[in-house]
Amino acid sequence: MGNVPTKLDQDGNPIEPVSRPGYPSGTTGPSSTGTTISTQSGNDTKTRNRRASSLVSSFLNTGNRYRSGSMQDGTYHSPHKRRSTKEKEQLKEQHARNILVKYDESVDGGFMAPFGSYSYDKLDYDTTVVKSLIIQRRLAPFYTPLQDFDSSWSREELLKIVDGLPLHASFDENPEEFEDIPIGDLNKSNFDHLINKNVSKKEYRNMHSKIFKARLYRKRIIWQETENESFLETKLEVREGKAQNSYLPSDDLKFDLYSNGSECPICFLYFPEPLNYSKCCQQPICTECFVQIKRAEPHFPHEEVDPTKPIKDDSEKDPNLLTSEPSNCPYCATANFSIVYTPPLTRKVGIQGIPPARYISSEINPEIIEPLQKDKNENVTTPISNNIVSSDDIRPDWETKLNKERIRLARRSANATAIHVSNQLIDPDYTSTSNDTTMSSSKRSTNTTSRHGSNSASRGSRQRSRQSMNDLENQMIQEAIRLSLEDEQQNKSPKKK
Amino acid sequence: MASLPKRIIKETERLVTDPVPGITAEPHDDNLRYFKVTIEGPAGSPYENGLFNLELYLPDDYPMEAPKVRFLTKIYHPNIDRLGRICLDILKTNWSPALQIRTVLLSVQALLASPNPNDPLANDVAEDWIKNEQGAKAKAKEWTALYAKK
Repeated sequence: MGNVPTKLDQDGNPIEPVSRPGYPSGTTGPSSTGTTISTQSGNDTKTRNRRASSLVSSFLNTGNRYRSGSMQDGTYHSPHKRRSTKEKEQLKEQHARNILVKYDESVDGGFMAPFGSYSYDKLDYDTTVVKSLIIQRRLAPFYTPLQDFDSSWSREELLKIVDGLPLHASFDENPEEFEDIPIGDLNKSNFDHLINKNVSKKEYRNMHSKIFKARLYRKRIIWQETENESFLETKLEVREGKAQNSYLPSDDLKFDLYSNGSECPICFLYFPEPLNYSKCCQQPICTECFVQIKRAEPHFPHEEVDPTKPIKDDSEKDPNLLTSEPSNCPYCATANFSIVYTPPLTRKVGIQGIPPARYISSEINPEIIEPLQKDKNENVTTPISNNIVSSDDIRPDWETKLNKERIRLARRSANATAIHVSNQLIDPDYTSTSNDTTMSSSKRSTNTTSRHGSNSASRGSRQRSRQSMNDLENQMIQEAIRLSLEDEQQNKSPKKK
Repeated sequence: MASLPKRIIKETERLVTDPVPGITAEPHDDNLRYFKVTIEGPAGSPYENGLFNLELYLPDDYPMEAPKVRFLTKIYHPNIDRLGRICLDILKTNWSPALQIRTVLLSVQALLASPNPNDPLANDVAEDWIKNEQGAKAKAKEWTALYAKK
């Protein structure tokens, strides 16, 4: 990971104007806010700065330095405060909005959000990071894939097929997961009336989150369909000559895109070139597959075990041993999977390029050359321009997740120990029974026997509460004696054998 | 259920048009994610001359998640348990979406040729394999003749 803060970092305003009016452009996804927390609680800003492994971490460090700045847009949270359910839900809705495919937000003929080959649950990458990488031409845009490609197609045939491409894959309207879950009126933000008030708190929370998920699923379909309709309507109007639209791609653009493409070796779909290429072994990968590749969930390292010995249970292991390795290259298994993307030189259209409708295919397109040269000059002033993007870059929250899991596990085992200890200390019956057995089995320590004997007749709760402190102390001493006796016996017995 | 991803359709087609020697895989008519698989025991291994039936299932998240593969034929192998579950790294932590049904089945066949008793799934078999390799192999051969007849 040799990534260095980009020019955006120095501006202190890394988020490009991705969104259209109405969608706050500086909004960070849930994940990047999570990194903020780890950055601050970790208080080793030095190491983090040195590593500066991703655009986002550098961006977040900037955010910390200028905390009064653009980070205060409602999604920034104090690191010591837990987010409320409502805040979390707002972040999730924002994430869903960020992965909508919009025809008027395109880069070089592709889009800012995935077509939908993978399920929504798996689109947990940081949308802000990915969008800005696409705009910077450091990651291929999300192109609409062709299911098949035949090199014998004529220009007309190819254009006809491309014109028929939808913005987004079709949805499963009624997934099993959300069957029988009421969603109520989606226009109203409050849906508490859908949940039976008489259920337990846990059950209520459970139901609440299920309904929220089902509603969000539905809402996302509606939002995407609105985008699809506006795309279709615009296409129709333009075709009938009623209107002009600079966002729709010209025929030349469509032809140049799809006449020169290749199949992604992971999803087997056909995409316009150039695709992203793995840094290690130069294999192509489409952006939709690239954003799927991520670290495995935190786990204990896999050990080769001796089959003759019992296997250690996970709960006995040290939570600090939990690890999460950077993802490997899917093709050659090289660690820390990263891609390199070389943007097309003759096709700079969409955001920060010429309008897609004005694209004309030609070897030398003056309109295209101009912005490119400008960019080159910018590169001179920016000391380092890095075109490598790693899997961790687009999910910068992995460290937070790992730490969370470690804390969760540590807390669980601490709880178990605490319960165990308090049972021994507080519950008088627990200790006295064990004392009795000690007595009967050892029948030594005469002073404790006499003392205990006088008490044992009146072992009512009244007396115990009066003498509780005394008893507790005695019981602890007796417990200690019992343990040492046991130890001694255990030490003796093997010698006898 | 959502429509079948292009990848699964293409893989299935290619398995039919370009089959792997010693391995067959056919999808069920009513569930195209569920495959009936046969693997021939590799030559030179205790499983030689055996024909093993397996089932292979492509989960919803395939190819981001590994296929689920299980032996249906009884087999004496340190990395395959009584229920036919297989301990193979590429089916678990080392899965890569660039692998395919084809490569997975080839790996399973390779596992038959070279068992790894130090990373066992069937503890008793593995112990046997370490302590008495000749005996274990003889038993594997015996089971092959008994349960995996061609």
